[in-house]
Amino acid sequence: MIRPDVTLSQAWHFPTPTVMSLPTGLTVWHFHLPGQHLATFELVLPVALAAEPRDLEGLGTVALHAIDEGTVSHPDGRIGELLEAQGATLHGTARLRYTTFGGQAPTRRLPEVLRLFVEVLAEPEYAERDVAHHIEAQVAAYDSKLASPGPSARLALRRELYGAEHREGRPAAGTPATLGQLTAADAHAWHRRHFTPDGAVLLVAGDLPDPAPLSRLADWVGPGRGSGSTPAPAPDGRSRIVVVDRPGSVQATILIGRRSVPRSHERWPALRLAGHAVVGAFASRLNLELRERLGYSYGIGGGFSPGVGESQFTVGGSVRTEVAADAVARLLDGLELRDPFTAAEIDDARRYLVGVAPLANETSADIVGQASALAAAGLDAGYMNRHFADLGEVTPAQATEAFREEVRPGTLTVAVAGAAEELLPALAARGLAAEVVDLRD
Amino acid sequence: MTEAALSYPLTRARLDNGLQVVVAPDAAAPGVAVNLWVDVGSADEQPGRTGFAHLFEHLMFQGSANVASGEHMATVEALGGTVNATTSSDRTNYFETVPRGALELALWLESDRFSSLAITAENFEAQRQVVKEEKRQRYDNQPYGDLLELLTAQHFPPEHPYGHLTIGAMADLDDASLDDVAAFFDTWYRPANIRLVLCGPVTGDEGVALAERYLGGLPARPGRAPRDVPDPPPGPPTVVSVTRDVPHPLTYLSWATPPAAHPDQPAIDLALAILADGNTSRLHRRLVRHGDLANEAHSASLTHRSTRSVAALLARPVEGVPLPRLSDAVLDEVARFAHEGPTDEELARAIAQYEREWLWELATTAGRADAINEAWLLHGDPGQVNHHLADVLALDAGAVAAAAGRWLAPASAQQLHYHAEAAA
Repeated sequence: MIRPDVTLSQAWHFPTPTVMSLPTGLTVWHFHLPGQHLATFELVLPVALAAEPRDLEGLGTVALHAIDEGTVSHPDGRIGELLEAQGATLHGTARLRYTTFGGQAPTRRLPEVLRLFVEVLAEPEYAERDVAHHIEAQVAAYDSKLASPGPSARLALRRELYGAEHREGRPAAGTPATLGQLTAADAHAWHRRHFTPDGAVLLVAGDLPDPAPLSRLADWVGPGRGSGSTPAPAPDGRSRIVVVDRPGSVQATILIGRRSVPRSHERWPALRLAGHAVVGAFASRLNLELRERLGYSYGIGGGFSPGVGESQFTVGGSVRTEVAADAVARLLDGLELRDPFTAAEIDDARRYLVGVAPLANETSADIVGQASALAAAGLDAGYMNRHFADLGEVTPAQATEAFREEVRPGTLTVAVAGAAEELLPALAARGLAAEVVDLRD
Repeated sequence: MTEAALSYPLTRARLDNGLQVVVAPDAAAPGVAVNLWVDVGSADEQPGRTGFAHLFEHLMFQGSANVASGEHMATVEALGGTVNATTSSDRTNYFETVPRGALELALWLESDRFSSLAITAENFEAQRQVVKEEKRQRYDNQPYGDLLELLTAQHFPPEHPYGHLTIGAMADLDDASLDDVAAFFDTWYRPANIRLVLCGPVTGDEGVALAERYLGGLPARPGRAPRDVPDPPPGPPTVVSVTRDVPHPLTYLSWATPPAAHPDQPAIDLALAILADGNTSRLHRRLVRHGDLANEAHSASLTHRSTRSVAALLARPVEGVPLPRLSDAVLDEVARFAHEGPTDEELARAIAQYEREWLWELATTAGRADAINEAWLLHGDPGQVNHHLADVLALDAGAVAAAAGRWLAPASAQQLHYHAEAAA
């Protein structure tokens, strides 16, 4: 049978929201998505966790997670029952540079859900026992992270890249020592200071032809003082190899990374394509080598992921302990990019990154997730379409040059979670000096 | 219209070679989901050969007459598509979502591997290692990594078809050989064992014609016989205690529940949700928020097509609370629930949450195609997706209480006490 030809249709465009500015200072992006009967909404609060007192880190996380346990009007879990009865679910994340808080509900129930959401935002109860419960949950989550190889490697890499002295080098949700200091009064204070409509952006998407329900958001009035402030950037981190010791571990979990340029940088489109070709695709250079050819790993993945003001390039995967040092050496070697990218590699990367956009943005949650990241970075929704156009202009030579400039040998940090007793000598035998670090230090 | 009435028109056909097709047209969808369920899973494996159905799934990406090793995935990704495969006890699922203009190529890729799979010794060995790394990454190198295995062992003897995990045993993976590949393909990968669902901008007639063009040429062979799986011998409930290097102790209470397609399953789901789903649930309110016995409580349900399923409640104790005491407290709540039944409000909440989760499952073409195939395999009727939610909405408090009373009896709970080394 003859291999069929493919006809790809015209370019897809990220949807354009209707943007409203409310008198309270809240900006609303409204995406009407016909056929999406499940609505997604998310608030982006421009508060960096650098605003937490040093000895109370984790406060942003606890104040966020405890916010919907009760309200003044509906205390002791009642507000949660009312939200659930509407088919709603809420979730939030206190990120190092911003906080998101939102949820999902059937579109036909959105007006009532947004009324309850405003109540949560405006008058959280923060009962002592609820806050204590969430402190315990975060302490438990910290212990679970340290007991798990992937999260351990991520914590170690972050600490190396940003430094333990900078907020972004420390765990977003705090440590047992700082969490243990928190009180309900601290949660109230954090909420009063940072949960304010002024400067925040609310994303709403779904089959919502009528924007009227969104006017509910005007009922949310805060202290009226935006809390957005840009923390001082972290100094450059250290480029070394660190091992988080997990005695007896049957695998080593490897994470290699460095900090990189923001979306606004001229090299960004080229780096996105280069990162995909090196380690993002199934048929990326590193995955084909370590998984498909050598059978070292279930998969090697990574690439350039954008953030606020900068990005991160990472490469990660888990390999059996016996081949871990060889895997690190091969990954570092592959990242030197001795062979320039071929036209086919860059074309495939481009076709994937542009072509997958309609599938990656199929649901209201997809649209809100993307828009939320843009809003947090101070970009408008039109950015995506400009970015897709930019990807179309990158040549293989530009991708090669950008990657070599950005991922220079010797500028990468390597974090490995695994059995130090076996890993250290094996790494040393390949000329890779590694140091053991203790995440609890 | 309420979401309960949400309905997808389906076109169903059986090709002459026995391969069955359902097309679910959605003109507005961003791509076409191509979803193949092959009627073979780890429950069809023989003792000593565990893990082979899943290893075989990996081999299906390793090349065929006109497609090189790895080319299937690379081709679909380079079209802006998504592609993968999964294996469970009951089926092996191959799927991709592609732009409409690439639907024929996707079906051609499927056709090539389903008609001319070609595995070299080198590819076989590499994928054996990849699968062993998958096992280490998912289970052996994770805290609580043996939990599912321990839970399974409380309900099924090891030689039972459902008595081992899909990932298999390391020794069996080591013993697997290239010689097994052709026989496995020949036994299971027959057109009559394949269900294809297409979901997206394709009409019923178009979809069936394309399936015929690309998959109609696979040679007809008799389909598999239905599984003849004995229910595991009923035994007295056990208390299994293990101590591991994990951050926290946990207790798991689990019950044998009916097969996946049993009419009581939705009511069991609602009972588990009311008991342990989220901060409004009974266990959270009674044991966490106002009880000082647990720090968290959740539920899980592992359904099986051809034998009993397993439902579980789990809880993490407050420091100092012994696992037996916490387990008793959980069972007291289960007993109370079965006796009282849910309040009207509890039932309404659970149903509203169920509705949202169901809508979410169907929100993508890939998710919808998979839900249709699941309904088809388990209920023999792909159209079950169109009335499933209405069936759940029709459940009343009495039905939920009765299901809890019948299937979650405290006296028949299996207990797994998972102790943390440091705290032991």
